[in-house]
Amino acid sequence: MLGTVYTGFGYWDVSSWIAFFTIAAALVLWLRAQGREDYKEGTEQDEIYWSGNVVPEEGAEITVPASSAYWGFRKAMAPFYKILTGMHTGIGTDIVGYYVVVVALLAVFILL
Amino acid sequence: MINKLMENYLDILPKSLWVTTCNSGSCNGCDIEIVACISPRYDIERFGMKLVGTPRHADVLIVTGPVTKYMTDRLRRIYDQMPDPKAVVVVGNCGSSGDVFYKSYNLDGPVDKIIPVDVFVHGCPPRPEAIIEGVAKAVMKLESLREPKKVGEAES
Repeated sequence: MLGTVYTGFGYWDVSSWIAFFTIAAALVLWLRAQGREDYKEGTEQDEIYWSGNVVPEEGAEITVPASSAYWGFRKAMAPFYKILTGMHTGIGTDIVGYYVVVVALLAVFILL
Repeated sequence: MINKLMENYLDILPKSLWVTTCNSGSCNGCDIEIVACISPRYDIERFGMKLVGTPRHADVLIVTGPVTKYMTDRLRRIYDQMPDPKAVVVVGNCGSSGDVFYKSYNLDGPVDKIIPVDVFVHGCPPRPEAIIEGVAKAVMKLESLREPKKVGEAES
């Protein structure tokens, strides 16, 4: 089960990978252990630094939704979106109608 | 002069001194001078000093500004979040005494009313040399807290 897997591009050895992972994990834990240990637990020294402010309990209060990143784009394109969303009625016959019209236009451009 | 002063302090400095800043309502004049300290002309990093962005990593807190009411809790919290031992350096007249804002209705400061201060650096704004000297003096306080015997030996 823990054998070596040979492929057309080389091999992958499970036990080597586990050994590498163990060594890397030990190194990381050793580095982490070199950090300061003189923090006083249960005091402000143990709290998150939030520019001096109290960290809000509710995470949603301190997050910015991804849609905010596109605010300018959405605002600039609003006239086009307004037309497109107006066309999306959700009625099947409308969709089929658009399809027929587009195919007819393409056919005209291709055939002429 | 600063070089000579720093050499004496650095003899007893076991680690690099990491400094963080808090603007408690300053006009930014002092902050500009603090930034000048890390510019190539003054270059405090040659002394092992470094500006860090969080009090969690800092040994010294530099405070500018006269401490407005809005900033009181924040200044206190930032001070509390620094690991011990720690030192506080007030940079500028506003933080030291309130200066022209003394007894203003929207101040809780000066800084020593809010948190314990070790070094005052006067000036409006102080020169970078003065700020560097002020931080260097804070080293003495830190070292006396860390290893009292070693400081005593260095002074003798």
